[in-house]
Amino acid sequence: MLQSFVSRYYEALLDTDRDQALALLTKSLEDGVSPEEIVFEVVTPAIERMSRDLTRDLATTLSQHFIAAQISEAAIEMLLPLFSSAPEIKGSVVIGTSSGDFHGLGKKIVRGCLRTKMFTVTDLGVNVPAERFVDQAVSLGASVIAISAMMVHTALGPDGALKVRQILRQRGLEPRIKIIVGGAPFRFDGNLYRSVCADAWADNGIEATRVIAGLVKEVPPA
Amino acid sequence: MNAMERIGLLAAGKLPDRVPVICNLLEQGALELGLSIEEYYSSGEKVAEAQLRMQRKYGYDNLWGFFYVARDAEMLGCRKIIFAKDGPPNVGELIIRNPADIEALTVPADVGATEAFQELRNCIRILKAEQGGRCPVLGSVVSSFSLPSMLMGMDTWLQLLLTGPKSLCRELLEKCSDFCIRHIQALRAEGIDMIAYSNPVASATFLTFPQFRELALPWIRRDFEAVGTEGLVYFNGGGVINPQIDLIREQTGVGAFYLNPLDDISEAKRIVDGKALVTGVINDIRLISWKRDEIEHEVARIMAAGATGGGFLFGTLVMPLYIPEEKIKIMLEAAFRHGIYPNNATLPAR
Repeated sequence: MLQSFVSRYYEALLDTDRDQALALLTKSLEDGVSPEEIVFEVVTPAIERMSRDLTRDLATTLSQHFIAAQISEAAIEMLLPLFSSAPEIKGSVVIGTSSGDFHGLGKKIVRGCLRTKMFTVTDLGVNVPAERFVDQAVSLGASVIAISAMMVHTALGPDGALKVRQILRQRGLEPRIKIIVGGAPFRFDGNLYRSVCADAWADNGIEATRVIAGLVKEVPPA
Repeated sequence: MNAMERIGLLAAGKLPDRVPVICNLLEQGALELGLSIEEYYSSGEKVAEAQLRMQRKYGYDNLWGFFYVARDAEMLGCRKIIFAKDGPPNVGELIIRNPADIEALTVPADVGATEAFQELRNCIRILKAEQGGRCPVLGSVVSSFSLPSMLMGMDTWLQLLLTGPKSLCRELLEKCSDFCIRHIQALRAEGIDMIAYSNPVASATFLTFPQFRELALPWIRRDFEAVGTEGLVYFNGGGVINPQIDLIREQTGVGAFYLNPLDDISEAKRIVDGKALVTGVINDIRLISWKRDEIEHEVARIMAAGATGGGFLFGTLVMPLYIPEEKIKIMLEAAFRHGIYPNNATLPAR
C-alpha cells in the first residue's frame, strides 16, 4: 500500500498539485500510516528523487522543485507535531540571499529541503547584510550560514559571502560557523565558491542538505 | 564588410566573411566613462557614447540600445531601482503585492511616451545617427510570460501560475502581453534593428515541455502575432531552450534563437535545420577565472559546433563586470579568428 502511496504522492509533486499531495498525506494518516513513516518513507524520498531528476537531463524543473519544496515544508509542519517522540535535529542553519540580491526562489527551495531533512532553519529573507547573517547565526547557535546569490556581483562582491567570512574571522568564529553558497553563478562555475572563501557550495536543495550535514560534522560540539 | 552587412548576409542565407559576434557589454560602459552605474544610466547620451566607444575598441558586431532589464518594470510604474556599484540595476519595489494590484495594473497606451523610455529613446537615436546602417542596434524586451516575475517576485509568480487562480493569472498575462507588444512597437518606432525577446521563466530550466506548451507558448504566440517576428530574436534569458526551439519556430515562425551556454549548439543547429539563425553562447561567468588557453579552447569549441554552413552567430550572456578587459579582448580576438569562413565554404539548401 505504501508503495502506491509513494507513487501517487510523487505524481502530485510532479504535477505541482499541492492540494492533492497534502490530501494524500491526510488520507494515509487516516489509514493508519504513522507520521514518521510518511515523513521518512514518502516525503523525504520524494524530494530527494525530484532533486536527482532535476540534475539528470532536466527530467524535473525549477518550478516543480519550488512547489515540491513548499509542499514538503507544509507536510513537515503538519506531521512533526504528531511524532511519537521529537526527531533528531541534524543541525541549525541560517539562510538568506546575499546583500543586494532580491531573488528568493533558490533560497526557498533549499529551506524546504533542509526542513524536510530535519534541520532547524531560520530564513533571514532577501538582501541580508553580512553582519546580520553572523549575528543571527551566533544568537541562534547555528553552525552553518547559507548564502544564496543569483547575480555575479552579489555572489562575488565585497558585501556578500566575502564579508561574512571576514566577520567570522575577525570575531574568531570560523571554527564554529561554516559558510555554504549557492545560486546561478556558482552553477555556471563550480569553483567560484573558493573565490568568495566559502567552505562549500551546492547545486540544488537536496545536495545542499548533504553538504550542510557534512559541514555540521566539522563543527566541534559547543 | 561591416557588421550590418555581415548579419544581413547571414539572414539572407549566405556566408559572411566571418561569424558575427554579439557582445553584451552593458555596465562596462560606466567604467569606460568613469561614471557610477546610476549616473551612467541617467543619460541616454552617455550610454550611447559608451556603446559606440566600446564597439570601436573591441570591434564586435552590435550596439545595445538597451539599459537594463528592470527598466521594463519602471515603464510599468516601478519607482525604486537598486543601483549596485558592480552589477546591473535591480527592481527594488514589487509593484504587485496582492490580487488588487493586478486589477489596478495599467499598461501605458504608448510605452514610448513613458518617462522611463525617454533616455532610452535618446540613446537609440544617437546610435542610429552615428552607426545606422553600419552596425545593428539591438533592443530588448521581457516577454509577457516572464515579466510578472519582475512585478511580483519569481516565487509569487510561479505560485500564481501553477496554483491559480487561473482568471487572475490570465488577467496579469494579458496586461503583460499588451505591454510587451507596445514595448516592441515603441522600439521599432525608433528604428531598432533587432530585438531580443527575453523569456527566462518559459525556459526548460523552469518548465517541463507540457507546461511550456500549455502555459507559456500561447503567450509567446500572442506577443508575436500582434507585432510579427521580423527582427525578433528568441533570447533564453538564463535558462536552456533547446527542447523548445522546434515548437517555437513551428508555431511562431521566429527566425533567430539565442541559446543558453548550457544548450548544446550542434543539437540546436540540427533542430533548426537551416530554417533559423542560432547564436551559440559562451559561459561568460567562467571568463572571470579562465586563462588565455582555456578561453581560446572554448571559443574554438563553440565555433566548431556552430559555424559550419552559416546561420550562426557567436554570443555572450551576462558579461559580469568582474571579467578583466584583457580577457574580453582574448575572447573576441579568438572569436574573430576562429570564425573566419574558408573561401570554399558551401551552404546547405535553405
